[in-house]
Amino acid sequence: MAITRRQFLTRTGLVTAGGMLGPGLLGSPLIRRALADTIGDRYFVVVYLDGGNDGQNTVIPVNNVDGSLRDQYTDARQPASGSNPGGLQLSTGSLAGTTLGAVGSNPGIDPNTHCNLALHPGYSGLKSLYTSESNVAVIQGCGYPNYNLSHDVSRHVWQKADPLASRANGWVGRYLAANYSGADIPAVNINDRIFGEYAQSATSVLALNRLADFGFPYQDFDSDDNPAQKSALLDLFAAASAASQPPVRQFIGNGGTATVDASDTYPLLDGEYTSARGTYDQMYSDLDSGFANDLREVAKVIWGVANNAHPNVKARFFEVSNGGYDTHSDQGGATGQQFELHQDVGNAIEVFYNDCKNMVVGGERVSDKLCIVIWSEFSRRIQQNDSGTDHGSQGPVFVIGGKVQGGVYGNHPDIDPLALNDDGNSMYSQDSGNGFRSTDIRDVYGTILQNWLGMPHATILSSVLALDTVPQNGSANDYWTAENFNVFPFSP
Amino acid sequence: MMGDENTPLDSTTAPHLLRRTCFGAPAEDVQKLLNKTPNTPYTRGQAADLLLNFKPGTFKPTGRYIENVQTSWIKYMLKIKSRLKSATQSPLQEKLVLFWHDHFATSDAKVENPSLMAFQNQTLRKLCMGDLKVLVKTIGKDPAMIEFLDTVRNFKDQPNENYARELQELFTLGVFDANGQANYEQADIVQIARCFSGWSYNNRPPKAVFHDYDHDFEGDFPDRGPKAVYLGAHGFGVTGYDLTQNGEGAPEIDTVIDAIFQHQDSDSKNTVARRIARRLFEYFADGGFGDAIVWPSDVVQAVDEVVAASGFGEPNWSIHDLVRAILVHDRFYDTAPPVSGPSSKKSVKWPVDYAVSTLRLLGVTLTGQSAYIAGGSYDAIVDHLANMGQELLEPPSVFGWDWETSWINSATLLARANFARDITSSRGNGKTHFHPEKLVNLGLTDPAAIVDAVAGVLGVQDDLSSTEKQDLQNYLTDDGPIDLHDYDFRNRKLNGLFALVLQSPAFQLH
Repeated sequence: MAITRRQFLTRTGLVTAGGMLGPGLLGSPLIRRALADTIGDRYFVVVYLDGGNDGQNTVIPVNNVDGSLRDQYTDARQPASGSNPGGLQLSTGSLAGTTLGAVGSNPGIDPNTHCNLALHPGYSGLKSLYTSESNVAVIQGCGYPNYNLSHDVSRHVWQKADPLASRANGWVGRYLAANYSGADIPAVNINDRIFGEYAQSATSVLALNRLADFGFPYQDFDSDDNPAQKSALLDLFAAASAASQPPVRQFIGNGGTATVDASDTYPLLDGEYTSARGTYDQMYSDLDSGFANDLREVAKVIWGVANNAHPNVKARFFEVSNGGYDTHSDQGGATGQQFELHQDVGNAIEVFYNDCKNMVVGGERVSDKLCIVIWSEFSRRIQQNDSGTDHGSQGPVFVIGGKVQGGVYGNHPDIDPLALNDDGNSMYSQDSGNGFRSTDIRDVYGTILQNWLGMPHATILSSVLALDTVPQNGSANDYWTAENFNVFPFSP
Repeated sequence: MMGDENTPLDSTTAPHLLRRTCFGAPAEDVQKLLNKTPNTPYTRGQAADLLLNFKPGTFKPTGRYIENVQTSWIKYMLKIKSRLKSATQSPLQEKLVLFWHDHFATSDAKVENPSLMAFQNQTLRKLCMGDLKVLVKTIGKDPAMIEFLDTVRNFKDQPNENYARELQELFTLGVFDANGQANYEQADIVQIARCFSGWSYNNRPPKAVFHDYDHDFEGDFPDRGPKAVYLGAHGFGVTGYDLTQNGEGAPEIDTVIDAIFQHQDSDSKNTVARRIARRLFEYFADGGFGDAIVWPSDVVQAVDEVVAASGFGEPNWSIHDLVRAILVHDRFYDTAPPVSGPSSKKSVKWPVDYAVSTLRLLGVTLTGQSAYIAGGSYDAIVDHLANMGQELLEPPSVFGWDWETSWINSATLLARANFARDITSSRGNGKTHFHPEKLVNLGLTDPAAIVDAVAGVLGVQDDLSSTEKQDLQNYLTDDGPIDLHDYDFRNRKLNGLFALVLQSPAFQLH
């Protein structure tokens, strides 16, 4: 197992001396390698679209060019009309404002059929970042072998990066476990429980809904007694964390210690951010959505970390989610349910990005330190039902950040009715001879782990992502047997 | 822990049985179990019979808004008498209703009809101890479920497979069997979805309705024609199980359940019997079953033993008999002893268990229409539970709640701490207030004795380690001489001690 920064520093007694590493030490190949294994001064934000977002109506072909994607799309998704109010089709007219174009050297079209693509009109905020900041990577056709139509199983596959959904730890959690220890708080989830990506038991992940409510509820009879209560609680949690205790007590003990410590400082970020960032604070409020409010909590922590507001506020990994994507019915087209979902997310991401862009610390924009990934557990059936869509297979992922080189990556799934399987879903393929070759989710994660989180290629394969074993009589083209951790590029 | 149904309960196993089945173990109930006749305890079997042989209630929660219905149910859980005090009531009934609510998870967030949610809750109560096959058939025709899993949107020409999938994946078979083999295929989902076409429901009275018109050329009417599942697999012949053998149309949805309940796994065991036995076992007995796809051999053994002992399976689907077999099994009592080392297994209390058992043990009653604790934040009980991660009648998804350590994170630990603070801050004269002077002898001056007394009231005297007890004594003595008769000292330190124990790792487990 590779030595981690935490282990190395602990072993050499340098935990508190991180800022004082002299040139001699940095000259050591071991130290340089160890330091490179970390996120450094960067941030990573996961956005989960809960319920299975319809990718077909998220990244939409607007013409055919060298294929038939638009025709196949309009066959599967009927136009809405008086007699068919449940039609989901997005007309080229409705997509005019969100049609993607060339970004830098990326032509911004489907790499396979060369057709033009558009984002759902609800994603005007994301489209604005795509064009003005050139920092949105639209990654098409993301999936995994033998896709599963169960929300729970498929969500687990994505979160664990394991098509068998059998690993207990999440892919981000495995990274954290390799780099942090029990007393650290490297991650904050804006949720009432920890998201599956972060599952592990080596370090503490805070789950909270609002920073302001994160203070510890001491007895109100006599506040002079609060320090005694706090000290007793910390003693109780420390006793439960001892190695002689069963794992569940250690889990509660470690979580309790981190919670009591964090409850001293995290609530302060709420007011501190609001006074320092009043203009942006108001912009989130104006969006009037739960998702924007959640993302603002992330901005508050990032602001605190970037400005070194409190010594124990050091989280650099985050997750937020937006629910309501299980659109079996009343999905809507250019207006309606899915429009509102996309609008809530796209507009909030735009404000969040601009907030981070406007935070300048040490002459550097925080947005240049930011990487956001947006995913959902599956896309939806190609053929619509009366007013919605059933569970499907491969769908798009967005990666956004100041150093992300924007554009379109990965191929649109093959939605020719003859290419669909018996379920009516597009098929996963790693066949390099297939123009519609899928993007395996582990290549997306590996690209981020290697190029953003600084994990060495070999360590990723040994401790976070495992290549598939092709079953007897199986075809290697149907499995992830060779990695490609350069799905999209980051700028230096 | 070796024993059988004739093994007498003792001071370790009696409170364990009560904690896992009856929302906490008050000392007087423990004493009753230890003294069937003076100094002769109940045996495991006698105690299980005592707790299980109640007449299922017909209580239906009421209220115009979902918060009212949630509150109504919680109040009922708090009001229902211990089986040791009442011939007809048992908190075990509510533990089972809670289990089935989690199992057949239906959320008002989508149903948006509190009266249908209340009706489903009553149905679960009526059937919670009865025949599992009847329960599953009834749930398929439950109006809230028909709405929640889109049976009402499942049409011949535009099938919606939601119910057909979850019926197999969650309610009965599971995706994989004990050996990690798939229990069904997409083709089976498609055929079952066809059977569930043509159904909707009435609100008043709540009732499923089958649209049995002869217009089978219409796209939204029942999908007629032959249907079969599990072809050449799971104990069925090459033509599978004929889903129209009891007639086309309305009978098909019951025939589907008949097929599922005959389904065999790759060990030629009844798949439903094993899976439901495992779920109930995990619920009552033990958090240590793990989440590996292939079941560990000790889990398979324990599950097969209770299935065999209760005869659970075709044609006897008595939930009562299955639960009884679990409540006399060694594996249930394995987690009874206090934590003694790293391999000890304890289960994380569900938020409802944490809140209801705490209120019962401390004798604090909720007040006001919104049912709040009269102290601290004055939050309503349903808000406390939501903050702890459990909104009754609004589970996070059709998968219900995630159990064990998934209940615990920084936000939910704070919510539990907040609840503890509110209870111990509710000072006043009425029975809606917290009265530590009725629970602890105020004449005590020895810090160790006071810590033991408080821990004893809350049932964790054996679960706190000596280090933890010393930590609590240090808290008690950091502020001068102990005088529990002194108003200020008592309100500061005795209430504080209760809060600390309620917030301690030991009290989160049972």
